[in-house]
Amino acid sequence: MKISRRTIVGALGAASMLAFGTSAMAQDYPTKRITIIVPYSAGGATDILARQVADGLSKVLDETVTVENRPGAGATLGTTQAANARPDGYTLFMGQVSSHGIAPAVYKNLQYDPVADFAPIKLLMSIPNVMVVNKDSPFQTAGEFLEAAKAEGKTFGSSGVGSSIHLSGEMFKSRTGANMTHVPFRGSGEAVPALLAGDVDVMFDNLPSAMPHIESGALRALAVTTPERSPKLDGVPTLDELDIPELDGFAARSWFGLLAPSGTDAAVIATLSEALDQVIASEAFVNFADTRGADIEGGSPEEFSAFIASELASWKTVVDDAGVTVE
Amino acid sequence: MFENIATGFELFFTLGNILAITAGVCLGVVVGAIPGLTATMAVALALPFTFNLDPVTGILLLVGVYKGGVFGGSITAILIRAPGTPAAACTVLDGYPLAQKGQAGKALNMALYASCIADFLSNLSLIFFASLIAGLALAFGPPEYFWLICFSLTVVISISGSSLTKGLISGLLGLLTSTIGLDLVYGTQRFTYGNFNLMGGVSYIPLLIGLFALPEVIDFYVRKVAPFTVKAADRSRVTLAEFKGSLLSIIRGSFIGVIIGTIPGAGATAAAFLSYGEARRTAKSPETFGKGNVEGVAASEAGNNGVAGATLIPLLALGIPGDVVTAVILGAFMLQGLTPGPLMFQDNITIIYAIFIGIMLSSIVLLGSGKLAIRYFARIADIPRHILLPIVLMFCVFGSYAVQSQMFDVGVMLAFGVLGFIMMKINMAAAPFLMGFILGPLFEDNLRRSFLISEDILIFFRSPICWIFITITVFSLFVGIRRELRATRAKRDAIRASGAS
Repeated sequence: MKISRRTIVGALGAASMLAFGTSAMAQDYPTKRITIIVPYSAGGATDILARQVADGLSKVLDETVTVENRPGAGATLGTTQAANARPDGYTLFMGQVSSHGIAPAVYKNLQYDPVADFAPIKLLMSIPNVMVVNKDSPFQTAGEFLEAAKAEGKTFGSSGVGSSIHLSGEMFKSRTGANMTHVPFRGSGEAVPALLAGDVDVMFDNLPSAMPHIESGALRALAVTTPERSPKLDGVPTLDELDIPELDGFAARSWFGLLAPSGTDAAVIATLSEALDQVIASEAFVNFADTRGADIEGGSPEEFSAFIASELASWKTVVDDAGVTVE
Repeated sequence: MFENIATGFELFFTLGNILAITAGVCLGVVVGAIPGLTATMAVALALPFTFNLDPVTGILLLVGVYKGGVFGGSITAILIRAPGTPAAACTVLDGYPLAQKGQAGKALNMALYASCIADFLSNLSLIFFASLIAGLALAFGPPEYFWLICFSLTVVISISGSSLTKGLISGLLGLLTSTIGLDLVYGTQRFTYGNFNLMGGVSYIPLLIGLFALPEVIDFYVRKVAPFTVKAADRSRVTLAEFKGSLLSIIRGSFIGVIIGTIPGAGATAAAFLSYGEARRTAKSPETFGKGNVEGVAASEAGNNGVAGATLIPLLALGIPGDVVTAVILGAFMLQGLTPGPLMFQDNITIIYAIFIGIMLSSIVLLGSGKLAIRYFARIADIPRHILLPIVLMFCVFGSYAVQSQMFDVGVMLAFGVLGFIMMKINMAAAPFLMGFILGPLFEDNLRRSFLISEDILIFFRSPICWIFITITVFSLFVGIRRELRATRAKRDAIRASGAS
């Protein structure tokens, strides 16, 4: 086929119309239902947060926002589907420390690229992990525990291989050289009873699931894993502030943030980012975070990108040191 | 205390609460009856509606959905051999044969009575013995759990059908299938062949639907049975004698459910099978089980509903969610600013009483809405097979897809459907396969966890609970195998005698 000048001009015209068309669409955004993909089953921490965010976004954007659960393969299945979704702003993804921090370091045959496949929108919330022992444990401080662990060997429970609970423990172990055996359970719901019963010696649990037991006195908090103390647990030191050189700068936490598939229009990202600022500032959301002992984050999409990059790097170090991989 | 109960009554008796519990139960029954949509999913879907309700109303809505869902699963299990929820798989064993005999009404009603009684007993245990038996949740560490699973595996003997050998093969195939996916301790991939979809293991619901519902559909088309058989409308009811005969199994099943429900992670499916196994073991004529014995339906439904109230025991008494449903309910409590656990009994005792009152009422609501559901759903049994089975097939596909929105799962369902069909043709029972598949990971996890906690093998004998389960495991194996061998010998003698004459 011979390509005439008119064809080219026509094609260019059409292309510019299309380009204009998309930005016009971005200005109208949203015009239909938005779906947030959650890579876990309904009822988990990520799911409940996503539903809270969906509820808030629906009000701010005046458009229905629904949550779709795509569990499986340690959250990697749903994440892969989100990575491959159409980047039109109508499919979003509830990312967390696992999908955009730990999993890329742990799984060798991951089907998505946490950086290239996603356009970060906003870091929403973070949860400290807390080092807890049961009330009958002889250890009053993290230092005492560490000494004992170096001498005789201890066990630490987790909600499963590759969870932030597991890797916080691995981080502690690889930094201090403590002799600790990992005992995985399927979810915190099974791991916490084992800690309460004394079947495992310690756990670096997510604060929300440990909090009720700390309040009731069944568990004793030795330290939090974040760089700053948690407002919920004023009296509990951070691992960083203990005078243990190996633990200087210890930082491990769970976090959640909203992302879009890469290629999503910048104007759409900006709209969502502004809407999310309103959502996380709302009274409902502040209450929600407060009851969970979570910290509300925020910031620009660029800051979230940089945060993800730093998370990927730091978890990779832990995973490499601990030798946790899934081939 | 009485003052608190009075305030609890005051808190409970509002129109909103009564509506919430009724709506919850009805919604649960319908969702539970749809294969692929489980009680768990129903609860999770209802959660956002509780955001703006008051605490008691919201929690009661969720509890209602859950209880309705557990019963709802039995409806399709009985009518079309497609368990609406995993826990109803055991109900298929005797429920479906009854439906085939044109006694679906009897099976459904028995399932409902057993469910309501078990639910009621389970609620009573929650209210009166919560603090007493909550300790069980902590007493079961990995070694105790390991022996509990060993004991549960002996039930395979009771559900093997005509041949113990084939039953064992079926159970072992189930165990083997359960090893597919990432291993618990090191995250090693097993039998995944690099396939991403298999990393999380074979999905439970597609396997269940494939194994039970699909073989009936395939069989219908393979055998080309005369299509135009319209059954006379089914008017069968549970007789008083049948009810009395099953009462002991119902009560025993309820308490098996209560104990299993109290232990985090064990689940309603295992409770149903254990209860069924016990009912068959103690029955006067065990050979009628699996061929449409209404007591079998009663036992399995009592087992799975007995779990429903009891799962709230560790949640309310200790603040530990034992399964996904209670985790969602925990989420709902926390959204309201309430934290279940010992502190709640001090700080918010009136809310607890109000919830208890509502939960007791839910058993009665379940009876009413169940009766209503049966009246309409039972008509499914009257639909001619050539019209019904394509619809069943559609539900098989829909149910498998609905779980994770994955076409891969539909493939899984079809593959296990073919396997189920072959097993049906060679008279190999499918129930042991399911038992093996469910219990396999629990068996392996707890064995390995025990060894991680202590390298010493003595950990398996550390407590009285271990010894109790070791004893009943050995007893159950011995009695079970001896009886099966006798039955086989008797059958062989009978064949020989008839051949000689």
